[in-house]
Amino acid sequence: MAVRLSSTFVFRKLHQLTGILPLGVFLLEHFYTNSKAMTGAADFNNAVRDLQSIPYVIFVEIGGIFLPLIYHAVYGLFITWEMRPNNVAYPYPRNWFYTIQRVTGIILFFFITFHVLNFRFGLIPGLNELSVADHPNQAFDIVSREFANWAIFAVYVVGITATVWHLANGLWLFAVDWGIVIGERAQRMAGYACIAVGLLLLAVGLNAQVAFIRPGGLLGLIGLAS
Amino acid sequence: MSANTNAEEHHQGLRNPPREVVLRIRRRDRQDGPARWEEFALPYRPNLNIISCLMEIRKNPVTRDGQRTTPPVWEMNCLEQVCGICTMVINGRARQSCSALVDNLDPHSPITLEPMSKFPNVRDLVVDRSEMFDHLKRVKAWIEIDGSYDLGPGPRMSQEDVAERYAYSRCMTCGCCLEACPQYGDGNYIGPQAIAQVRLMNMHPSGKMSRDDRLSAITGDDGITNCGNAQNCVRACPMSLPLTKAIYEENRETVLHGLFGWLRK
Repeated sequence: MAVRLSSTFVFRKLHQLTGILPLGVFLLEHFYTNSKAMTGAADFNNAVRDLQSIPYVIFVEIGGIFLPLIYHAVYGLFITWEMRPNNVAYPYPRNWFYTIQRVTGIILFFFITFHVLNFRFGLIPGLNELSVADHPNQAFDIVSREFANWAIFAVYVVGITATVWHLANGLWLFAVDWGIVIGERAQRMAGYACIAVGLLLLAVGLNAQVAFIRPGGLLGLIGLAS
Repeated sequence: MSANTNAEEHHQGLRNPPREVVLRIRRRDRQDGPARWEEFALPYRPNLNIISCLMEIRKNPVTRDGQRTTPPVWEMNCLEQVCGICTMVINGRARQSCSALVDNLDPHSPITLEPMSKFPNVRDLVVDRSEMFDHLKRVKAWIEIDGSYDLGPGPRMSQEDVAERYAYSRCMTCGCCLEACPQYGDGNYIGPQAIAQVRLMNMHPSGKMSRDDRLSAITGDDGITNCGNAQNCVRACPMSLPLTKAIYEENRETVLHGLFGWLRK
């Protein structure tokens, strides 16, 4: 006897997996590179240049980022379409997390589309027409020029926060959806661990963002950057 | 844990009882007909439950503003929260009307009664819950013990497994978990009720022989992956079934035997 799997089952499992691998791992890499901005423009520009010198970079970028990203985003919208939120009648934390996961997903759909067009491709006329990837020597300047605009800066604060929330809760969802964390107590512990990971990632992400307009980022503002 | 089994519900009336109890009932004369609200008032007395209120209204079906109407229709059977038939949405939440005591529902404000929204509404507070029974058939929620010869006694089970299975066996197919689920509806998702019975049968040493049939039933297009992990089901369950544990145990089984099954071929 064998288990017959429907296409929906496989698509959902693929959706759950792509959120962690490669997208979650890519976010860690992204925050790592961003954090290079803490020690100045030259370090960040070098990091961008190093990434662009990865062998087969175009295939890595398409297969490791763009395809999984588009799949996760578009299929995620289909999943979101099926929701019947009932948070008022059943106001439990997990039920709120259910709704927030979908709301942040929609925010991310628009934020990441904007972010990729704006910085990766430089395709937003009137805002930025220089691709960061193709101009590593100007990478820091392109970003810091954008962030000087308070509205864009605010968009990125919202975007980074939504991304971190979506990943931190997504880690928990992956662990339960793949039957790794099963029991109630284990799920509570895993939940605390995901909150800790989320807070840490949020601090790193926002600190790196501020580093593009203030040397050292948030740590620089309070005099802690080396 | 459900609130409606608390011992503290059995007290002797309220300190400041209201003069009357007001019920707002969502009514519909026939399936697919228009729905409307009707408001009824009845004299308060201690220890009323929703069913005794409905029985009181049925004696003289006149709305609060004096209009004569038809008696509201509902279903009931055991009157002790083990059959599940009297489930309805009371003040926005699915629960059994037999164990919903007026004294615990704040009788000073109107109590709203609606039919469950996830099932076809037959009339007034009556819904057609046959899809839950169809799901039980699809997941083969039974153990094959019939043969052309005597199969002998079944294998023994550990006491832990017996205790865990007992929890799943308490399901009365009332539908509270499905009503509370933000993913259930329009045939999108088979739901926690059926998945818990898959767990119950798959845990049984003899039932395990049909495991892959049951897993195939919950890896369909409306299968277990449509769970959104909102975990309302386990909170709404009046029989305190560990519904989420059932879902995650079956997540593990579908991943191991479904997704990674080919690795053993």
